[in-house]
Amino acid sequence: MTETSVYIHIPFCTHRCGYCDFNTYEGLAALIPAYVDAVVKEIRYVGERVLGPVVVQSIFLGGGTPSLLSAAQVEAILRAVGEAFLVLPGCEITLEANPGTVTSGYFRALRSLGVNRISMGVQSSRPQELTILEREHDFGAAIQAMKFCREAGFQNVSIDLIFGLPAQQLAHWQRVLEDGLALNPDHISLYALSIEHGTPMQRMFSRGLIEEIDQDAAADMYEWSMNRLAEAGFCHYEISNWAKRDEQNHLMASLHNLQYWRNQPYLGFGAGAHGYFANVRTVGVLAPGSYVARMRSLPVRERAIPRTPATAAAKAVDRQDEIGETMMMGLRLLEEGVSRPKFLARFDKDLDTAFPGVIRELEKQGLLEDDGERIRLSRRGRVLGNRVFVRFV
Amino acid sequence: MSQEHIRNFCIIAHIDHGKSTLADRMLQLTGTISDRDMQAQVLDTMDLEREKGVTIKASAVRMAHTASDGRVYELNLIDTPGHVDFGYEVSRALMACEGAVLVVDASQGLEAQTLANLYLALEADLEIIPVVNKIDLPAARPDEVAEEIAALIGVDAATVLQISAKEGTGVAEVLEAVIARVPPPAGDENAPLRALVFDSHYDSYKGVVAYVRVVDGGLRHTDELHHIATHITFKPVEIGTFAPDMRPAAELKSGEVGYIATGLKTVAESRVGDTITHKAKDLPHALPGYREPKPMVFAGIYPVEGEEYGELKDALEKLQLNDASLVYQPETSQALNFGFRCGFLGMFHMEIIQERLEREYDLDIIVTAPSVEYEVLMKDGKTITIESPAKLPDEGDIQEIREPWMTLQIYTPTEFYGPVMELATKRRGIYLNEEYPSHNRVQLNYEIPLSELIIDFFDGLKSRTKGYASMDYHFKEYRAEDLTKLEVLVNNEPVDALAAIVHKDHAFHKGQALVSKLKDLIPRQLFVVPIQASASGRIISRANVKAVRKDVLAKCYGGDITRKKKLLEKQKKGKKRMKMIGSVEIPQEAFLAVLRLSDE
Repeated sequence: MTETSVYIHIPFCTHRCGYCDFNTYEGLAALIPAYVDAVVKEIRYVGERVLGPVVVQSIFLGGGTPSLLSAAQVEAILRAVGEAFLVLPGCEITLEANPGTVTSGYFRALRSLGVNRISMGVQSSRPQELTILEREHDFGAAIQAMKFCREAGFQNVSIDLIFGLPAQQLAHWQRVLEDGLALNPDHISLYALSIEHGTPMQRMFSRGLIEEIDQDAAADMYEWSMNRLAEAGFCHYEISNWAKRDEQNHLMASLHNLQYWRNQPYLGFGAGAHGYFANVRTVGVLAPGSYVARMRSLPVRERAIPRTPATAAAKAVDRQDEIGETMMMGLRLLEEGVSRPKFLARFDKDLDTAFPGVIRELEKQGLLEDDGERIRLSRRGRVLGNRVFVRFV
Repeated sequence: MSQEHIRNFCIIAHIDHGKSTLADRMLQLTGTISDRDMQAQVLDTMDLEREKGVTIKASAVRMAHTASDGRVYELNLIDTPGHVDFGYEVSRALMACEGAVLVVDASQGLEAQTLANLYLALEADLEIIPVVNKIDLPAARPDEVAEEIAALIGVDAATVLQISAKEGTGVAEVLEAVIARVPPPAGDENAPLRALVFDSHYDSYKGVVAYVRVVDGGLRHTDELHHIATHITFKPVEIGTFAPDMRPAAELKSGEVGYIATGLKTVAESRVGDTITHKAKDLPHALPGYREPKPMVFAGIYPVEGEEYGELKDALEKLQLNDASLVYQPETSQALNFGFRCGFLGMFHMEIIQERLEREYDLDIIVTAPSVEYEVLMKDGKTITIESPAKLPDEGDIQEIREPWMTLQIYTPTEFYGPVMELATKRRGIYLNEEYPSHNRVQLNYEIPLSELIIDFFDGLKSRTKGYASMDYHFKEYRAEDLTKLEVLVNNEPVDALAAIVHKDHAFHKGQALVSKLKDLIPRQLFVVPIQASASGRIISRANVKAVRKDVLAKCYGGDITRKKKLLEKQKKGKKRMKMIGSVEIPQEAFLAVLRLSDE
């Protein structure tokens, strides 16, 4: 039985960050109770119609700001998942939290509901950077939130940091990463800032008020980070992700994200949530109001799972696409890479037959490593991943 | 109809002065075409012509018109190409006429091609009917422009007609003037047949259709005919007139304009300027002025995708069916692989061919920077001609290199005298003299190498004169110059498609400019790519394209992988549009970088 993951999108924020182009909304907090009801309904909709048991290995509440939900609301959602599907014991349950929106009591409540992983949006420690990103917290709030997490008993806490900000220099970034490490997280995600269309930051950029830092500077930051994090005992298991090992020497990688990178199935619930189940990619209607309305008045016509009344678009993934996506995602995993036997088992086709000559060529260019059993990005390939991925999609 | 009631005329004008609109109005007024069928600018049948607002190929139409004297006249309007690249075609079309309507825009006044075409018309001994058009425009100054024209051709300003072709004002008067002032044809009806081919097109059913003006004698559709210049004999498939579509007729008589469907396979067999006569032992003298088309500008055309070579070849073959002045031969470039070296009458002709290949034949092509034909005198006394900079022999074996020089007329408002002078001088132009054909306007006469003209000169002229200047040029002679090959090495390999022949005095500056341009155009690769320019065996400039450092996507939030995939697919498409030179990807724009050097 293929294990599945569940993603739940919580699109609400008290303030939308300057760089954010995800499906998020500010000023809609009043909609949260109805929205949670709708999510519960959507989960049940799938649970009631899907054939056979769905075994869930990870649940991820992402956003937006899921920590805007009350513990009771989180509980309602988790209970719905537990009733609709078969949630494995030890299932990884992550909630994204923003410093400044959380209390010690809140974390204790989450812990008691079974949430066992917190992903904290720290982003930076420098006040001027937090300002430009339009984050509502300062680094003090991040320190405090971390303390609350640990007090509540969370043993798997991840932080997000952003590098390559306008005007950021290597020394600035080094300070930020050192501060991040000082929080003693178990897992770190580092993202290079990209200025996305339609964001306040992009408008500032187009007016010439801020400048994108050049790729050489961003590369310097990333390369320095790789060394520093290795020194701090982190394993660089995915292009943007590093994890420590726990006492049993288990890598504390995000099981949920591994599901994406291994191109395995996940159900998506909520406004604009993406899903990939039974070889169909789905995306939910974006606007939270529409989402609620759609789930309130269920249509007479049944929709074939994984489609739900809230599904805005669905696309079947053919074999060729699946192969390309498996490569593009799998090669992001720096240790695991793409394994020849697994590829053969999944596609009934030899990796080298599927991409004749390509692997050899990329290896010659110094972008790929091939140990016969698996192919992986080389150290250089990590920063030039796109050059590799394009050869497989 | 007797010759007495025939008038053969053309309309000559600078681009956009309203030639086609006036022709349209004449067709409507004479009932040749109903208002309902009127598609703006009927004579310009190619989409490209309509879009560019110029006539690329000549065309003809017969109109019947009842004049104020109550008699019916046969009016043959012969349309002439409106661009300097087609000077020869214009001159042949003029030879088919007895009169010319000279159209001048009431707001623009005289322009370079007004003058150039006027001189051609006077050379062909045509009766000129001057007309000021667009008098409805707010900026029109009809009286002033009429004065200018009158002064130019030495007539009374009162005889210059003032019209608005767009609104139909004064068009009937133009037709009356054609009938009254243009002399009827004066050919000898009883002499042996002589028909001038002034244009042709290829028809897939009837073969090459020659547009002819019967000068002497006459022909019947059953006659066996002969081309005097190409010596090709044929029996017509059909003969007839343009009304405005081809309408078959049994005979064409002296003074008439019509067509002969020859059944021949390429327009090169029935060339513009050739004389058609009856097949006979004693041929009459050919009509004067026939010339073989001589391409002046050369460029390589390559398919972006190697596998489209065959399609490109087919497309060029088809274009050549209709265009005897397009020449091409296979060429191999180590950079661009297999393609064709093509010869054109000029830059405009080249642009048209390029656009037709892209639009009508849907081909992705790379066109290299244009070049002229050089004559190279070797030390061993032999002279060779080369059309491609890459083919220049080793400098040590060369005695001298000669390049084509042109006479150039630039016609501009006097306020731009300085900027025009500066441009021409920068491009090695030699100032000859100046004329003031009208108030506030100066005609500057130069000699200039064609190689300097074909690279962005016209654009430079337009931008320096706010679009007011116009130009005309003609071949003068080949001259020996101090020239050298400017070579470009990408990743230490010379790229033939980027080579250029330049004057030695300009080599250093151009080499530097080219290198810095290429440095910006060539994207960063996996390794450092040195770009060098060399001339006369010395490296004169060098720059490095740094190796790419970072190219990777951030994580996929919430499992949204389709967006990342789209980005990758876009990146992949971008790569496809590049040419691999050795192990370096070079975008298409780089091959045209040589073109833009003059701006720096």
